[in-house]
Amino acid sequence: MDTYLQAGLDALGDATRMAIFQRLANGPLAVNEIADTLPVSRPAVSQHLKVLKDAGLVQDRRDGTRRLYQLDPEGVARLRAHFDQMWTKALSSFQEAVEKPAKEVRGGKQRGSSRRN
Amino acid sequence: MESSVEAAVVIKSVRVKASRERAFSVFVEQMETWWPATHHIQKDPFELIVVEPRVGGRWYERTVTGQECDWGTVQGWDPPNGVRLSWHVGPGHDSPDWVADMDPAKASEVEVRFTAVDEGTTVVELIHSHLERHGEGWEQLRALFDGPGAWVSILEAFAKKVDEEDAL
Repeated sequence: MDTYLQAGLDALGDATRMAIFQRLANGPLAVNEIADTLPVSRPAVSQHLKVLKDAGLVQDRRDGTRRLYQLDPEGVARLRAHFDQMWTKALSSFQEAVEKPAKEVRGGKQRGSSRRN
Repeated sequence: MESSVEAAVVIKSVRVKASRERAFSVFVEQMETWWPATHHIQKDPFELIVVEPRVGGRWYERTVTGQECDWGTVQGWDPPNGVRLSWHVGPGHDSPDWVADMDPAKASEVEVRFTAVDEGTTVVELIHSHLERHGEGWEQLRALFDGPGAWVSILEAFAKKVDEEDAL
């Protein structure tokens, strides 16, 4: 396979994923319904859906005998929950550190000597 | 969809019994004394967390053996009023771990403001915004909605190329 075609394939990987997004934006679909409207095989669509699912952008659910895929608006919500938790923890121990008498704060760590400037 | 992107902000505040100067100093100069030890990127825990005191400065963790890993860069430096940092640590798309991606398009932003209530009390407000930039595909997704058809033409061009190849 020549490099031009390879580059085209790489672009297709991305483009296909985008095309899948676009279709799912209009509502939930099964793998075959997505594949029918795209010039790629059903296994390839499944592979892209897996990437999207791992990235937290798509979720799937069982609908009778079919598995339906839909956009997952919770992807960002999960990120948000993570950072919310992190900063809650961080700011509460920051408060503790800042309210300690100054001489207790440093555990004898030397800073500055090996810092890159 | 759009509403969840707009909601990709975390806002926190804490009131501390300290001057603004002290609060600012502990925040940026002694971060390793209060940062949750569970939140580090490298295999080994950090010994230091450094925020270089200037715009363009690095924000990084350093292990006891001197291994460094950047978390972000200083975008705004205004002691003791506040500091603005870019944050590059997000979920790794090829790994279960969190990783630092130094692509500016993948960075969120952390702004911290220090407001004096009185001489010995400071309110510290933290706003971590643009969290959606850590989610793979959100930007492209928005771009897609902004410009439908862009990808369709790529697909068509590719399909045409494949047809040519098949004809050879």
